[in-house]
Amino acid sequence: MNIRNKRWGWLSATLLIIIIGIVAAACGGSDSSSADTAAADTAAADTAAVETAAAAPEKKIVMGFLSNCEGPFGPFWDATLAGYYTALVQFAGATPVDPADPKAGVTGAMVPGTEIPIEINTDYGCSDDKADKALSEAKRLVEQEGVNILIGPLSGDEGIAVANYAKTQPDVTFLNGISGAQDTTLKVQAPNFFRFFTDGAQWTAGLGAYAYNVLGWRTAVTIGDDYSFPYTQTAGFVSEFCSLGGKVTDRIWPALGETDYSSYIAKLPNDVDGFFLDVGGTGTVQFVNQYTEVNGNDSLQGKVMGGAFISNPAIIKELGSKVEGVVAGSALPSDATDANWTTYVDAITAAFPDQAGNAANIFLAGYYNNTQAAILGLGAVGGNIDDAAAFQSAIAGVEISTGVGPVTVDGNRNAVGANYVVQVSDKGATTLFTVPDVDQSFGGAFSADTPNPDRDNPKCVAGNPPPWAASITK
Amino acid sequence: MISARLHWLIGIGIVIVAAVLPFVFSNFTTSQILTRALILGLAAASLIFLASLGGWVSLAQLGLYGVAGFTVGNLVQADGGAKVFAMDIWLASLLALVVTVLVGLLIGVIASRSEGIYFLMITLAFGVIIKLLFEKATDLSGFGGINQIIQPAVLGSAQLDPERIYWVCLAICVLVYLGIRYFAHTPFGLAFQGIRDNTPRMRALGYNVTLIRTVAFGIAAFIAGLAGVLNVWWNTQISPGTIDIGPVIFLLMIAIIGGLYRIEGAWVGALIYVILDNRLRSVDLVGERVATALGIVFLLIVLLSPGGVMGIYKSLASRWRRSRSESGAARDGDGTAAPTVAGD
Amino acid sequence: MASGSGLTAEVASALGPRARLSGGTLFLLIILLLAIVGIGIQAAADATLFAQITLNGLSLAGLYFIVASGFTLIFGLMRVVNMAHGSFYMLGGIIAYLVQERMLNPDPTSFDLPQATLTSFLIPLIVSMFSIALLGVLIQQVFLRWNQGQELRQALITIALSIIIADQAVARFGGIAKEISVPVRKSIQLPIVGMYGTTRLVLLLVAIVVGVALVLIISRTRFGMIVRAGVDDRQMVTALGVNIQKVFVGAFFLGALLAGLAGVLGGAVNSVNKSDDGKFLLISLVIVIVGGMGSLTGAAVGAVLLGLIDSYSDVYLPDAITNYGVLLTFFLLVFVLAVRPYGLFGRPG
Repeated sequence: MNIRNKRWGWLSATLLIIIIGIVAAACGGSDSSSADTAAADTAAADTAAVETAAAAPEKKIVMGFLSNCEGPFGPFWDATLAGYYTALVQFAGATPVDPADPKAGVTGAMVPGTEIPIEINTDYGCSDDKADKALSEAKRLVEQEGVNILIGPLSGDEGIAVANYAKTQPDVTFLNGISGAQDTTLKVQAPNFFRFFTDGAQWTAGLGAYAYNVLGWRTAVTIGDDYSFPYTQTAGFVSEFCSLGGKVTDRIWPALGETDYSSYIAKLPNDVDGFFLDVGGTGTVQFVNQYTEVNGNDSLQGKVMGGAFISNPAIIKELGSKVEGVVAGSALPSDATDANWTTYVDAITAAFPDQAGNAANIFLAGYYNNTQAAILGLGAVGGNIDDAAAFQSAIAGVEISTGVGPVTVDGNRNAVGANYVVQVSDKGATTLFTVPDVDQSFGGAFSADTPNPDRDNPKCVAGNPPPWAASITK
Repeated sequence: MISARLHWLIGIGIVIVAAVLPFVFSNFTTSQILTRALILGLAAASLIFLASLGGWVSLAQLGLYGVAGFTVGNLVQADGGAKVFAMDIWLASLLALVVTVLVGLLIGVIASRSEGIYFLMITLAFGVIIKLLFEKATDLSGFGGINQIIQPAVLGSAQLDPERIYWVCLAICVLVYLGIRYFAHTPFGLAFQGIRDNTPRMRALGYNVTLIRTVAFGIAAFIAGLAGVLNVWWNTQISPGTIDIGPVIFLLMIAIIGGLYRIEGAWVGALIYVILDNRLRSVDLVGERVATALGIVFLLIVLLSPGGVMGIYKSLASRWRRSRSESGAARDGDGTAAPTVAGD
Repeated sequence: MASGSGLTAEVASALGPRARLSGGTLFLLIILLLAIVGIGIQAAADATLFAQITLNGLSLAGLYFIVASGFTLIFGLMRVVNMAHGSFYMLGGIIAYLVQERMLNPDPTSFDLPQATLTSFLIPLIVSMFSIALLGVLIQQVFLRWNQGQELRQALITIALSIIIADQAVARFGGIAKEISVPVRKSIQLPIVGMYGTTRLVLLLVAIVVGVALVLIISRTRFGMIVRAGVDDRQMVTALGVNIQKVFVGAFFLGALLAGLAGVLGGAVNSVNKSDDGKFLLISLVIVIVGGMGSLTGAAVGAVLLGLIDSYSDVYLPDAITNYGVLLTFFLLVFVLAVRPYGLFGRPG
């Protein structure tokens, strides 16, 4: 690899020109977009200008979007965009540019009840499930693109990082996308970070009671991938199951990225009533295949319960009858037929017909809920966000209408809403119980002072069951 | 030939211009473009240090960068990590450097017995193993990475005073650059380069080849560790994703863009990479497929100009010189021999 | 610098590994012995569990071996470190899945999974294997042929390709892991082990067949003869009038084919997953570094070591430190390289 190889000289020069061209095109592209964007750029480029902008009648509303277009969740990019834009179409009167392609965006979004435009930043934030990528993208949107309402991010670690960042940007309002770590709102407590979709632990609300009261389990073992999201989901199950008197005899945590669960399966004890399974999206397919291969095709029913991974329609489609009869927690009811659900599905169909099938996909729903909250908050302050604190307290007071009924936020700015205990059947996931008004604290079991959910926490303690536990019986 | 004095003047000029950039650009650009480029450049410099002087391409440098960052995160007050020490940030940073150098020496003593492409493979394996360790050992990497790592007080707030951390990074980068230039002319540095050029002869001359190489790897680990410490000072958080295989490859890409055999290329490459990364997604054709676009840029560079941008600069400069002095007597280049990593 | 002659790693060592019993090797053996005693104590406590996880480890090793043998074959002959080998593995699974989906044409509303027949398993397998093999040849011809000998540059080119392939896979292939349907998926009763899944047994069997076939190809065919000669002295082989370029194409074809095969088998036993490329690249690297680059025997031994470490550490490490299990792989690398810098069966250049 000799750099002095002369015949590369002219090629090198060409390459340099290409690179310069790309960089120039990229810079030029953003400068010459619209006058509005240019103005936003200038405003962002000079902090002094932002300060003096208060002298102008009202601060311009610039909404930004942060999700994952790379990494393991990259394929859910379109679904998250669809949720974001559906809310803008439904509540801010926007029109989709191309109903077949959410990426193309919308035009004409306005604050409800006013003529004030909501500018949609289309240099989307694209992360890859990594906290520092999400953080740098959030900074780019806020500090470079001049976004003052940011919707996102997608996953747990990203959410914690962005919520921490939110504390340093009090004038910008952050609404979560679909990241589910409990800490994001329970521990970080940024006053300008909201989550209008329940957290990962809330998605298992009702399962512990179902296991104890309906299935009659007294002992259980949990198996989950060794990272924050399964800790959070398992925390919900363990806390509820133990509060009723159940015992969790072991917690097995296969290392993250494991693809061969066979040895963990060999190690599972036989003398417990059941298992709570929470190995991640990819892992679910692998675990279930390896489990059923050894134990038979109908071996999961009554013996295994799952979290959001198993109730995910895409996973059910992949595993089919192998998971028939498995009971799982779910933030969305895919079989609902009530008015809330149909309104929600109709809104998606009206905006992006191709995405209607994703209605029960939490990625779409999470972005939908949070974007809606932002729009309703804007409406409540008449589009005036000069006083960020006033705008944020307006958001804290809104009640959004979702597929699962009204959702509000608690003092930690975290959603209080319904959760579902579902059973996998040939129709997908059939709702067994609706668990109303699930809050983040599980009846006090979780608070800012309790340890983070981890391999050993929460401890298995009897007493103080969450309010909904008593209603889940045979 | 450009005289050495002129080189110095140009260098000083560049540093002065770099130092006043925060007054020209917004906080965002200072922090997210310039500071980021300096830190990534420093990490790339540790890679280029080994490549230019030792003829080795190491993919473990980002892993070592992560070791330093995670060590700081675990030793100080932060959200996540071990949480038992709550040490002073300066002491923690110093200890992080010590730990990083020790890990570097351990990897170095093993890897320094290999050459060229084997070295690349072995260091890649070590780099990925370090990442896997932090990914799996959540006691060390916290719940969702380590967040809110405290900064040294003199740096003020990363948000309000981004220029302070920028200046600190700039100063350290300049020192490291000068240090590497100086090192190359010390007896030790010359011996290291001698090993690159002819290992058997150096061995025959009585040099302890393994020792020299291991120590050089330790020095590179120190530089990578500095970058890792600066990274957590700047970003106040670190997660296993920071040192995943993707970033490892992009660090290599920075070194390649800059030219694998020129120390200053590290920062040129880093700046180009950071700007591309920041701007590419605004190009309609690219959209969210930034990684593909970066991969194509990377591919074009290795296909067309293995010397990277600095190689392009050099070949243009030498062409210009040749056309001026038609004699062609002037040797092109300034004497930094580009080692051929290939076996023949 | 390493000279071109006397390649470090060689495929031919598959035929007769000459493990010299040096002090270092002895040290390694002692460590191994200690590990065996430790596991033995655990095994005595629960023989069935031990047998099960041993078989798990061995079948996993089978998969690892198929991937790594392709990697080591390409490296041994051509000195090309194919950093896109993990991408080949991943694409192998994806292509087979897509072909099978087209063949089975599952009813999207049906709850029951489509069941593959022997044909609808083998055709995707073959299509996928040969597509990957052709892709390998294409990459070799377009990107690697003209810079033969520039090892670093070739590695960088394949790295760049792997970035592009990975990102395109994210963009084009669905979000969650998919399963390649197999004709029979059930468990059978084995002595001591108890019930055990058939797909893993088949995987182990295929790996053994692949290993034997490779040894036969290398030792008995004209292609293998040239490969062995080429490994030792490429210039000489060319001088003797052999068209080494053709052999290179053959080697790349075979190496990529093996990665594709492994991708399909992995997709059938575990799942097709778009983030497997990095994992299997690392596995290939570790196996050939431990086993010795270019050595088939080394690949087999490395694969078995890694497979067994994987499954024993999942079960036998105390809970508090299972997460540090990856350090065992680290120490395996350190130990092996400390005593044998060129791997267990590698030869210095």
